[in-house]
Parts: sequence; C-alpha cells; structure tokens
Amino acid sequence: MDRVVELEIPARPEFVGIARMAVGALAGIRPGLAYERIDDLRIVVSEACTSAIEGLDESSVLKLRCVDGPKSLEVRIEAPGSVFESAFPINEPEPEADNFRISLIRALVDDADLKASPERTELCLIMHRDAASDEDVLGGDLPA
Amino acid sequence: MDLGLDVKERNGWAVLSVQGEVDVYTAPQFREQLIQLVDQGQRQVLVDLEGVEFLDSTGLGVLVGGLKRVRSHDGDLALVCTQRRILKVLEITGLTKVFTIHDTVDAAVG
Repeated sequence: MDRVVELEIPARPEFVGIARMAVGALAGIRPGLAYERIDDLRIVVSEACTSAIEGLDESSVLKLRCVDGPKSLEVRIEAPGSVFESAFPINEPEPEADNFRISLIRALVDDADLKASPERTELCLIMHRDAASDEDVLGGDLPA
Repeated sequence: MDLGLDVKERNGWAVLSVQGEVDVYTAPQFREQLIQLVDQGQRQVLVDLEGVEFLDSTGLGVLVGGLKRVRSHDGDLALVCTQRRILKVLEITGLTKVFTIHDTVDAAVG
C-alpha cells in the first residue's frame, strides 16, 4: 500500500533542510532502504530543491509529493515555470566534469524523470527499496 | 540550522573546523570565512570536515572556490575527512583527486 506525504516549502534556502529532513525521515519508516541510501536521497533532494530555488523568486513555492511504496520511494518536486536545468539537463548525455550537482544526482538516485510544461516543471526522483517482506508488499501494518 | 565554524592556528596552518550541515543556506557563511582567512594572509588552510553532518554540491563549490583562492596566492587548501558519507560525495565528483585529504588534523599539520 502506498503512503503519500505532501509538503510545501517556500522557495528559500533556509527551507531546503526541512525538505531533506522530511524526506529522509519518511524514507526510514518502511524497511528496504539502508541508512546510506537514505543519505543519498537526502543529498539528491537537497540538490533538486537548490536547483529549483536558484531559478525562482522567494515568493514561489516548491511542492514535494512523496509516494512511499513497498518497492520504491518516489519524490516528486514541482515548481512553477521552467526550473531544474542545473540539476537535470535535457539533451545532455554526459555531465560537464565540473558540474557537481549533475554528477551527484546521476550517481545517487536510481531513476529520475523530468516533466515540463510552460506553467510548471516536475522532477521525479525514485529510489528502489530492497526486497520487502510479503506482509509489507501486501499492505500490512508497519512492524512494531 | 546553524553552521559551526572555528579557526585555530597549528604549525603555520589555519585549521578551519566545520560543524553541522553545509547547504545552500549555510554555505555563504562557510565561503565568507574562507575568503576572510585568505584576505588575512593565510596561505595554508586546512578544512576539518569531521564535524560535518551533511555536504552537498553547494559546499563542494565553496571548497573548490577556497582552493582556487589560496592557490592564486601560491598557497594550499587541504581537507581532514574520514566520514564515509562525505568521502562518497568527494569521490563521485572527482574531488578526491583534487584535494589532499588527511585522516586527522595532526597528520596534516605534522
């Protein structure tokens, strides 16, 4: 059973830490993501939010929608306008050697997808969980 | 979210100990401290990352900027880091080949 957690943060630097803290905490509730992988996810969320903030004014809002399933955790980050270029460039097969952000995202997330329209952009980051228990896959309650 | 920055002098090195999370919010403080050290005439700067709990590309940019700044004055900037999570970020971005990385401050300053 998927669990959905949504969070909205102002597009300001001081809120990036809240986004990665919330996503990191959610990632650890269900089994299947090792501590190191949760750390990876926190970095990727930070990179994505920072990239978006760089392209937005401070009155804008970032919407994070986390879909926590037994096999994967998806983090969808939606922002107005066209953002995320510095995090997820389209039509660029290899990152520039000195672009740390792109290198980190490509190395640390299992899958990523960018959906853009003139009004908004959504970056989807996916981390696959290790094999979960049958009970969890079937939507059972969390272990005590 | 506070960033702790502490500077000590050790054998001719300015040892900058960083504690906390380095991201887009706290990186400006970190950058400003490095600039201040170089402006004060420090040419051997050691950044101790052992107290860093989180470091993303913004923090890496500050480190690289600091390295360029001290090298432009014929100096050097080295790191102290044994934390797996931070080393992993440095490895992915190729910066383990750029910075000299020591296990301890004592090992770095001799």
